[in-house]
Parts: sequence; structure tokens; C-alpha cells
Amino acid sequence: MKKLKLTLLIAAVLAPTSLVFANDLDDLKIEVAQMRADYEQRIEQLEQRLAKAETTTSEIRTEVATANAAPVVVTTRNNNSFNPAISMVLNGQFSDYSEPSENHELSGFALQGEGGLAAEGLSLGESEITLSASVDQLLFGQATIALHDDAGTTEVGIEEAFIETLGLSNGFTVRAGRFYSPMGYLNEKHIHAWNFADAPLIYRGLFGNQLTTDGVKLSYLLPTDQMIELGGTVGSGGQYPSSGNHSGIGDWLVYARTGGDIGINHNWQASVSHWQASPEDREYGGGHNHGGSIADPVLFNGDTDISNISLVYKWAPNGNFRQQNLTLLGEYFYLNEDGQLNNSAEMASYDGKQYGGFIEGIYQFQPRWSAGVRYDWLGSQLRASDDELLTDADLDFSGFHPQRYSLMLEWLPSEFSRLRAQINHDKSSHNDDTQLFLQYTVSIGAHGAHSY
Amino acid sequence: MKKLLSSLLLLLASSSAMANLTIFACEPEWAALSQELGGDKVKVFSATTGLQDPHYIQARPSLIAKARQADLLVCTGAELESGWLPLLQRKAGNSAIQTGAAGYFIATDYVTLKAIPSSLDRSLGDVHAAGNPHIQTSPINIQLVAKALTKRLQDLDAGNAPFYQQRSEDFNRRWQDAIEQWQQQAVPLNGLSIVVQHDSWLYLFDWLDLNKAAVLEEKPGVSPTVNALNKVLNHLKKSPAKLVIHAAYQSPRATDWLVDKTAMSKVTLPFTVGGNEQSTDLFSLFDDTIQRLLAAHK
Repeated sequence: MKKLKLTLLIAAVLAPTSLVFANDLDDLKIEVAQMRADYEQRIEQLEQRLAKAETTTSEIRTEVATANAAPVVVTTRNNNSFNPAISMVLNGQFSDYSEPSENHELSGFALQGEGGLAAEGLSLGESEITLSASVDQLLFGQATIALHDDAGTTEVGIEEAFIETLGLSNGFTVRAGRFYSPMGYLNEKHIHAWNFADAPLIYRGLFGNQLTTDGVKLSYLLPTDQMIELGGTVGSGGQYPSSGNHSGIGDWLVYARTGGDIGINHNWQASVSHWQASPEDREYGGGHNHGGSIADPVLFNGDTDISNISLVYKWAPNGNFRQQNLTLLGEYFYLNEDGQLNNSAEMASYDGKQYGGFIEGIYQFQPRWSAGVRYDWLGSQLRASDDELLTDADLDFSGFHPQRYSLMLEWLPSEFSRLRAQINHDKSSHNDDTQLFLQYTVSIGAHGAHSY
Repeated sequence: MKKLLSSLLLLLASSSAMANLTIFACEPEWAALSQELGGDKVKVFSATTGLQDPHYIQARPSLIAKARQADLLVCTGAELESGWLPLLQRKAGNSAIQTGAAGYFIATDYVTLKAIPSSLDRSLGDVHAAGNPHIQTSPINIQLVAKALTKRLQDLDAGNAPFYQQRSEDFNRRWQDAIEQWQQQAVPLNGLSIVVQHDSWLYLFDWLDLNKAAVLEEKPGVSPTVNALNKVLNHLKKSPAKLVIHAAYQSPRATDWLVDKTAMSKVTLPFTVGGNEQSTDLFSLFDDTIQRLLAAHK
């Protein structure tokens, strides 16, 4: 086979040269010798190529034989590879109240922001988009944008938007931007990660659901086996329950947190925190339940401080949370404020104390199913030199103690979805209210990591 | 205050005097391997036990405290710890264990993963984009990881590099002997058809040439419906299997259902170090796993 090929090749190469007319025999001889050398070289090259082709074929054969049965995953190598982790929380609910929701009040507290009841009937809850990624070798960044409908228009809010150091060393971490203040236990979690469909009464009463800081947070973790974290924040003081424009530090907070394991089945965390601000012209009467703005709002100027203690305990047999687990949680808040209330016509000195807490227990009795109970209570002592201003500010009913009992059952088909049913017996004002919530919450996109 | 500070400093000094490296292992198999390779030069903590599902761990306070003190993180990777490890890294304030740092060691980086899904969608269940993360079920993978981990220990604690080298060689010798022994013991198991509850032993099956007859979970991580189980049952009528296995940390409900309906025998495997009383280290883990399979096969 090879020989035949060679003869053919030589013939083919020789063919044109037979036309050459040579006078000199010696010249011709030299030429022939040169040609021979040339052909030999070419033949050698051709043989090499042939050999190479043969090995390639055998290589391909082995490659085919060992190829994966499953399709190969194609990873794209373009600019998108560095996109941040994106996740979105979608939720909706059905709410039913035995009392008209516009009559809802929290005795001794002026409801602000999102502190009111969810819209009655079917409603779309808050949709949240969270983006997070490492910024560079030093920083991590995260933002949570919330969208929700209010009176026919869609409101966009920045729930959190912060940067944080990535392993600053020696247990220090610095965070800057807008973030949920490190006060208590639930406050730092997003509402969708809470154990009930609505916020504890004290969160609604004091913060209009949650306390945020626009500023800087510094925390220090001690190098001990018992977790001990100390930290503080300074903020702009522009966020409720603080308010106004402060040229320097508008609010500050200090906290201490500790926790650990007890054997393999139990673990816990306790914290204390203290927040302080000097609100300027904090406006009362802006709550969602009051429909429209009040022509002559009551304003508060003075000093406010809030203290919190919280305790969490969790149990899981063998520490394996997948099968069964129990969470017990309690928090207590105490607000103390001192200053003046005024509207356009009147002014009064004001001294207010608002306090309350909740305890809740959540039991995951089998994978995918949890049940929970919660008890809320509130109290207040509010004094002003002019009672009329107190009434206008919604700070009346002093001496009445709101209470609420809640029962919850939830089914979690996966880590990313949850269906929840909840019943409240709400004694927040003189008329008892029975409330029912049916709620779905799902998370799409990146697998989020949930804190303790 | 002064007293507190000085006692804290003492605490720091004493912990570093005892061991050169503090290792935070995400799973017990990596804690055991770190201990084999590091000996008394390392102080090892395991974040999970053999009776815990490593996917459902909470970033609880004690883990944050341990991550704060770690020089080296030894974890599986392949998204097994994605629900809690990133949080520990962020909360620990420890530059040594950040992603990409010398103190960040991911075992799956050194092993060729199998069962890489061709499409990613949450409707497919708990799929791992990088492939099946349960690499510790094959001793060959353990050996690959041991090689890389030795190098990492030497990088981090250069002064003791010869010590780690010697321990590594010693471990390799014993491990190689053990692998040969296990392979001989497991000869009767070759080609044996086994039903698994979750696809936890992919690498073990490939190593010992076992045949995976069926997976009870229709979708990974999702408890199978009765419908799905019946499908498996019908399939097994055509191609029967002898054993059904589940990991010690998994609820045996689906396995029990199948055992109840068939003449199959149920085997609870340790899955990792500490998965049962017998599995106290990596050697006894494989001893016990093979013994249990052999006992059920007889």
C-alpha cells in the first residue's frame, strides 16, 4: 500500500520535469541528484504526516471511548461570571380581621411607617431583591431593595445597602451604609425570615416594624470558645424613631452578645443593647392606618433611649436540625423619652415610657412542618402637661396594656418555599380582634445563608 | 480590667503553645484526616458530627467563636456548606479563613467530582452545580485530599514541614495497605445491586464496583412521595436488589417503607466518622462500612 503510494507520488512529481530540455548532460545529472534529494525529503515529510494522522485517529478513538455519557456542562466565560449573587423573595397573603382594620390601634403607641396591619383580603406582600458579592479583596457588599404597594402606587425602599470588611483580622468587622441595627434578635433579620406573618407588637410600636441605622458599625469578637461579641453603631439619626437632620452623630447604639452550646443538643444566645437619639420634629400621625396626612401634626423634640434584652435557645436531637428542632425566643424593650410635644398652636412638656416584649416557641415536629405560639404584651406611661396634645399624637389610652396571642402552622416544601397559616387573638385596644393570615413566601435565585 | 486583659492574653498564649495550627473542619471526616496528618502540631475542631446533616447546619454562636480562632478551614465545598459557611467567614473577623486565603482549604478542589448536573433548576431538587459532594465515601478521594492537605499544612507551618511530610508518608503507607485489604474484603460485593435512599455513596459504588439499582429520593434532598416509591418498587420487580442503604443521620422512613414491602435488608451506614460507635476514625469508618455491607449480603 505504502509502496504504491510512493511510486504514484514520484511519478506525479516527475511528470512536469520530463518537459525540461537540458543541453548539458552534467547539468542534467546534478539537477537529477538535487531532485532526488528533494523528493526524498518530501516523501519523508509525507510519511511523517501520515503517521501523525494515524496517531490522531487512535487518540480520538480513545477519547470517544472514554467520553462522559452525560452532557458536558458549558461554563460561560464572559463578564457575567462576576455578577453578584441575586435572590428575590416573593410573598403574598390573605388577611382577615374581625374588627375593621381602620379602627386598629396599639394603646399607648403611635403607629408609624409599616407598623399598621396588613391590608385586609388578598394582598401582595413585600417583594425583596437582594444582591451580594465580594467587592474586592477587602470588602463585601450587599443591598436589599423592597417593593410594595401602598394606596395604589408601588413604593421602592432601600431596606439595607452596606459594605462590610472581609476578615479585617483580630475579630474586628466594620460595616457602613444602611443596615438593620444590631439590637435584639429579630431586628437584624429580614421580615421574611421571622417566625410569624406579622411583627411582634413591640417592634411595630417602637420602630414601625424594624430599626435601621444609616451609618457605621464596629464589632469585635473575642478570641474565646464562648462567643462574645461587643460592638456599637453611630448613625445619621434620620431614621424613625429618631428624626431630623443632625450634622454630627444623630443616634448611637452599643451592644453585647454572647452564646454557645450546651452539649450537642442545645445552643443559645443572649444579648443586651442600648440605643440613644435626640429626635428633632419627630412627627406623629403618619401611620398607614390613618389615611392621608394630618393637617396639624404633633411633633416631638427631646431625647429618646431604648434598651433591649434578648434570649434565644434552640434544641435539636443530636444537633441535627433537619429532622426536628425547637426554638424559644424572648425579647424585652424599654423606651424612655423626655422632651416637648408641640403643634402649630400649643406646646407641652412630655415624659414617656413605653415597654413590652414577646416570647415565642417554634417546634419543627417533623421535616418540613413547624408549629409555633407567641405571646406579646405592651405597656406605657405617658405624661404631658397638655393631655390634648397626647390625644392628637395618638399617645393616649395610657394605663391600658395591649396583649396578643398567636398560633402558627407552616409547611416548607423545600428550603426555598413556605406556606403559613396564623391566627392572632389581638387585644391591642379596647375591642378584641381575631386575625387570620394565610401566607406564602418563596425565595428564588441564589441560596442565601441564614444567620442564627 | 487589667486582670481580664492579662488572663485573655494568657489564654491566647496558652492555646498557641499547645498546637501550631488551629483547624476548623466542617465535617468529621476532614477533622479526622487533619488529625492524622497534623498529629500534636494541630488542634482540630469539627463543626458537625456524623449524626448531623451537613447541609442543614446553623451558623450558631459557638461556630462563630471557633471560626474566629481558626488558622485553617478544611471543608468539603461543592455547595455542601453554602447555607452557613459564608456567614461564619463574614462574622468571624478572621482574614486567615477568607475565600482564597491560605487558610481556606476546600477538599472537592482536589478531586474529580462526579454527577455534575447538565442543567440547573431548583425544580430538580437539591442539585449541586459542582457535582456530588459526598467524596469521603471513597478512600481514593481521601488519599487525594490528604496529599493536598499535607502541602497546605506545610505551607502554613513551614517550620514543621518535615514533620508533616513524615506523617503524610506514614498515613499514605497505612492507607494504601488498608485500601488493598478493603478491596479484597469487598470482592464478594462486586456487582451487588443496592438501593440507596439518597445518592450519598456514588464514589463508594464506583470504587467497589457496586451497582446502584435505584435511588429512593426521586429528586435529591426531597423526601420521596408514595408515588415515587411505588415507581421504584415496580422497577425493582424487574431488576431486583438485595440491600437498601441510608446514612445514619438520615431519617430511615423511605428505607423502612421499602423494606416493609420487599424482602430486602436495610443497612444503616455510618457515612462519616462518628456516624456510629464503631466509626471512630477514617480507618474504622471503611472497616465498618464494608463489614456492614458484607454482613447484610450473606
